[in-house]
Amino acid sequence: MLKIAIVGCGKIADGHVEQIRATGRGEVVAVCDREPLMVEQLAVRMGIPGRYTDAQEMLNHCKPDVVHIATPPESHVALASLALSAGCHVFVEKPFALTASDSRIILDLAKQLGKKVSVNYLYNFEPPGLELEKLLAKNALGEVLHLDTHYGYNLNGDYGLAVMSDPGHWVHRLPGKLFHNVLDHVLAKVVAHIGDDTEVQVLAFRRRPASGDPVLDTLSDELRFLLRSGGTTVTGLISAHGRPVAHTLRVVGTKNTVELDYTARTLVSSVNWSQPSALGRLFPAFVQAKAFGRNGLRNVGLFSRYEYHYFQCMRVLLNRFYDAIEKDAVDPIPPAHILRVCRVIDQLVLGMEAQS
Amino acid sequence: MKVLVTGAGGFLGRRIVESLLLQGARQVRVHVRQAPPRGMIEDLQARFPNALIEIAQANLLSRGALGALVNGVDCIVHAAAGMKGAAADMFANTVLTSRNLLEAACEHKVARIVLISSFSVYQAAALKKGDVLSDATTPIEPVGVERGAYGYAKTRQEHMFNEFQREHGFESVILRPGVIYGPGGGALSSRVGIRALGFFFELGGDALLPLTYVENCADAVARAALSAPPGSAFSVVDDDLPTCRAYLKRYRREVEPMRRVPVPFWAFRLGSKGLVWYHKRSKGQLPAVFTPYVVDSMYRPLRYSNEGLKSIGWVQRISTQDGIRTTFSYLKEQMRSKT
Repeated sequence: MLKIAIVGCGKIADGHVEQIRATGRGEVVAVCDREPLMVEQLAVRMGIPGRYTDAQEMLNHCKPDVVHIATPPESHVALASLALSAGCHVFVEKPFALTASDSRIILDLAKQLGKKVSVNYLYNFEPPGLELEKLLAKNALGEVLHLDTHYGYNLNGDYGLAVMSDPGHWVHRLPGKLFHNVLDHVLAKVVAHIGDDTEVQVLAFRRRPASGDPVLDTLSDELRFLLRSGGTTVTGLISAHGRPVAHTLRVVGTKNTVELDYTARTLVSSVNWSQPSALGRLFPAFVQAKAFGRNGLRNVGLFSRYEYHYFQCMRVLLNRFYDAIEKDAVDPIPPAHILRVCRVIDQLVLGMEAQS
Repeated sequence: MKVLVTGAGGFLGRRIVESLLLQGARQVRVHVRQAPPRGMIEDLQARFPNALIEIAQANLLSRGALGALVNGVDCIVHAAAGMKGAAADMFANTVLTSRNLLEAACEHKVARIVLISSFSVYQAAALKKGDVLSDATTPIEPVGVERGAYGYAKTRQEHMFNEFQREHGFESVILRPGVIYGPGGGALSSRVGIRALGFFFELGGDALLPLTYVENCADAVARAALSAPPGSAFSVVDDDLPTCRAYLKRYRREVEPMRRVPVPFWAFRLGSKGLVWYHKRSKGQLPAVFTPYVVDSMYRPLRYSNEGLKSIGWVQRISTQDGIRTTFSYLKEQMRSKT
């Protein structure tokens, strides 16, 4: 059983504790936060024995095998370096780091010390993400020509309200502000299909009315981007206003095209229909309905096997990460992909800054 | 006496300011996180031209930066709290904010502090059917984790408030409102039931619904702030409480029709045991929002006392019948404007 410690006791820490326990492979031995009351609330609610406000002290006393870092991203380099230097493997919440150069510091140190690092790019491990992984492995889509990714968020939801009502919220200090906190999710799905020679075009703007607060009003809420790497392109739409709030990916290949909906947990192939005349066009909708039906049945099966938790994807990712640690299995998120995500974010931030 | 009201732009907070002014306070500092609701200050100033009404903007999460907020006040009514969101957010917005405010208040020697707590802190699971839940006899939860995220945050807040009081000796008063309702508030408390799958699952049955109309609640807070003895604590509920079933029946008649599924107490309790079992077996696939402890605490038919409030001169200004009528016509209007 791995001894695991968590640094950062905000709301995402609950998900880490629950999913670590659900894997059955780790025991959360301690939690740490600079704010003692936040340490207390997580430890009391989750029944965790070790409580610390100093990460170094926690590492010295508990000697964990793995440290999960769930703090705001500006602290990731320092905390990850501390944990790696103490001999721990590290699992980092997204955004992995503020910049590509920061992410390189963490990845290089891990490599030098022979330790594993991963990041919570959980959506690649949702049921449709895992199915896409299988399709790509057997080359069912052919060469990937284009990816179109949509990601929505709700500024009136709990998280949106927390950000929009507090000009001091850490999101306002991110180089890419609100988008920086979701771009990891968006780009993690596409970086495997592009190289490090990516060209970037970006358009960001604020669609909501001005509030009068200068900090809040510098926050764009709509982002469009276009990436090109060799013969592959990616378009991205990140929106605060589109409804319903979207979380989708369309992968266009030379053999086939698939559409993934991460909220509905479905993956369907586009219909390739060649029957003639109006009569022939009666059938595709039924073919699609059947495909969605199969997805539904698969989801019911997952639910009945208790594999359909909201954070099931994080559970899959953690299992693979712990496999990498304990069985020297392949990294669930290759370090090169982490670095590429951060590099593209740097480019997008530069593009946004050039506009403003 | 200058009174600071935190969370004064909120559903209850703005009514507390009004009640304080109605009951004779002449200097009120209105705390808001960003800006007061449109027209609030202008309206109060027009109705109470002799009152000094100040606006103080502050983020209560900013530890060490609340000196200006509390400086020069004689009494604080602390109504700001986290009402929704994840457990950690609710805790931060309730407990951290209170710690920060109390530190500043103690540093600036504020003489009197009134905490708006909640019914959710009462250790009600031990009571039997028909018992009276009372500020005089019902203890508060020692920790509160079993009451869920909100109950835990409010319980920790109240214990911390008492710790500060013991250390610094300010005059303390605590109010624990039941279900606060009124125009601008929520439609149906979870004590009545929950909506799911196109149905309304009626969970409260014949249990009394511990309502307090928002203006009556605000009157109670103002009365306690201005005249309650130090160290006192009050349950805040109105008279003539309806049963959950009667309240729902009227809601369905006056606001919106709903397909209801009555769930008897015994079935609800059995179901909560099943939910806890499934939660554990499925490794949390469904959250254990209703546990036997929560069901015993919130849904067992009890009686409620407001004798403590009456002993300090509180009188219910809006009758329960009028309060429900006003609330339901507001909700009906809201539904019309949405469609």
